[in-house]
Amino acid sequence: MAGLLWLAIGLVMRWNAALIAGILSLGAEQAVRLATGSGKVDPWMPVYAAGFLLAAELAWWSIEPRVPAWSELEVLGRRLLAIATCCVGGALLAALVVLAAGAPLHGGFALELVGVVAAVAAVAVVAAVARLPVRAE
Amino acid sequence: MTRSATPKLGAYTALAGVGLLAALVVGRPELAALAAPFALVLVAGLSLASEPELERATFAIDRERALEDETVDATLILRTERPIGRLELLLDLPEGLETTGDNPRIVGLDWDARQELDFTVRCARWGGYAVGDFVLRSPEVFGLLVHEWRLEQRQPLRVYPRGEALQRLLRPVETQAFAGIQVPRARGEGIEFADVRPFVPGDRVRRVNWRATARRGEPWVTETHPERNSDVVIFLDTFLEARQRDEGTLDLAVSAAASLVTHYLREKDRVGLVSFGGVINWLHISSGTVQLYRILDSLLDAEIFLSYAWKDIDLLPVRALPPQALVIALSPLLDERAVRTLLDVRARGFDLAVVEISPVPFAPAGRDELDKLARRLWLLRREALRSRYLRLGVPVVEWDADVPLQSALEEVRRFKRHARFVRA
Repeated sequence: MAGLLWLAIGLVMRWNAALIAGILSLGAEQAVRLATGSGKVDPWMPVYAAGFLLAAELAWWSIEPRVPAWSELEVLGRRLLAIATCCVGGALLAALVVLAAGAPLHGGFALELVGVVAAVAAVAVVAAVARLPVRAE
Repeated sequence: MTRSATPKLGAYTALAGVGLLAALVVGRPELAALAAPFALVLVAGLSLASEPELERATFAIDRERALEDETVDATLILRTERPIGRLELLLDLPEGLETTGDNPRIVGLDWDARQELDFTVRCARWGGYAVGDFVLRSPEVFGLLVHEWRLEQRQPLRVYPRGEALQRLLRPVETQAFAGIQVPRARGEGIEFADVRPFVPGDRVRRVNWRATARRGEPWVTETHPERNSDVVIFLDTFLEARQRDEGTLDLAVSAAASLVTHYLREKDRVGLVSFGGVINWLHISSGTVQLYRILDSLLDAEIFLSYAWKDIDLLPVRALPPQALVIALSPLLDERAVRTLLDVRARGFDLAVVEISPVPFAPAGRDELDKLARRLWLLRREALRSRYLRLGVPVVEWDADVPLQSALEEVRRFKRHARFVRA
């Protein structure tokens, strides 16, 4: 509920920070739900993930300034196509993750090493992005 | 060109990073699946991000000279080879100019596109400007990164002060030898009637006044005044000014100077300019349209330049203040150096009139008693200063923006008549 509330505030007030809080809250709520839920993998998770991305993209699109040049059919189509491609690609990627989770792989040093490398890489990406100067819109 | 992250990039990175780490920590692959689309957008957005490139940008304004409150049309033409999905353009105008339309503008540019953007610039204050600095911003396709850079296509724009229409000008005591439209006290060849007198040998026949001759029974001739011009020097005090928000005494002085110069030159007088302050500038007297633009351009450069050096009239070349010239001083009478210099000008025998650009409206009274007392003392000192000038035969008239300049000139004219009477 908190996530939706922040999202609504961000959309109404066209406020970037509230949108960020809303999206992060929704993600956190989903994480808590999954962590406290049953151990069974949800097969619809790729659809949820794509929907979550779609909601975030549309939210940011809606708070952008209204410009006639962007309402042209060609520009609109190109933007929608980019978002749709990302959502479909994201859903496929999420499905891959879900399928990989269900695969009968046995743990071992190599697999743990891959996991650690992936985690370190994720942290490195976060750190690299954090070093970029942030531009308030 | 600078590249910066948008808040969206931070949010997506946090979601993807925290999601993947949480999946590892909690041991729930669904969290990784939830974070995967955001990670995909991050990877796609950052890898596809390229610097936007303008092939050519041309900026032009429709004229280089304008009057205060007028508008100038400006056009920016952009050409691109590669598309720029979203380009935000801010015309960064110097203080004194403002746009009347949308600023910043947001456009989208396609392959091999040519985009023409029209801006309307309002000249709010006189001055010399360089117009054509743009700040450009372009976010990449997913809105994760923003590229920002400046485009400098400067074009000169000179905004002249809008003068006031004047019906009558101050006239100097003495006129010059050149032809003009003023009627001096002396008699000579001209068309303005002066008097009639008996004919003397050497008088031209065409001067004979036949009516007077018929009435008196002997030849009488008509005497006339010649048409002469005069020399006028505008003395601009730029030592100090009183200013509040967008308006100050220097603005009023420059506006008054522009009005006076325009009207005197229109009446075929020769006009010079002395800008006396921290920096001293002068223009020798001359006449004509070229001189008008020369003086107006010089007025645009007038600014307050703080200096503690003592300066007096000896710094000016002799030709800057020609003999028998009328010196019209436009001064807020705030700086002792300007006050002393004007007294010196008078002591040297120049016909001097002081239009005091009143600093009083720019210095409102304080709230407490001490401030009010200080202001009263300051006003009294100003009054005493004016009396000092009046005693020396220099007309001083207080003028502010609420009163037409013409009425100030009329006050000076009235005083001068009395002054001559007293001197006589």
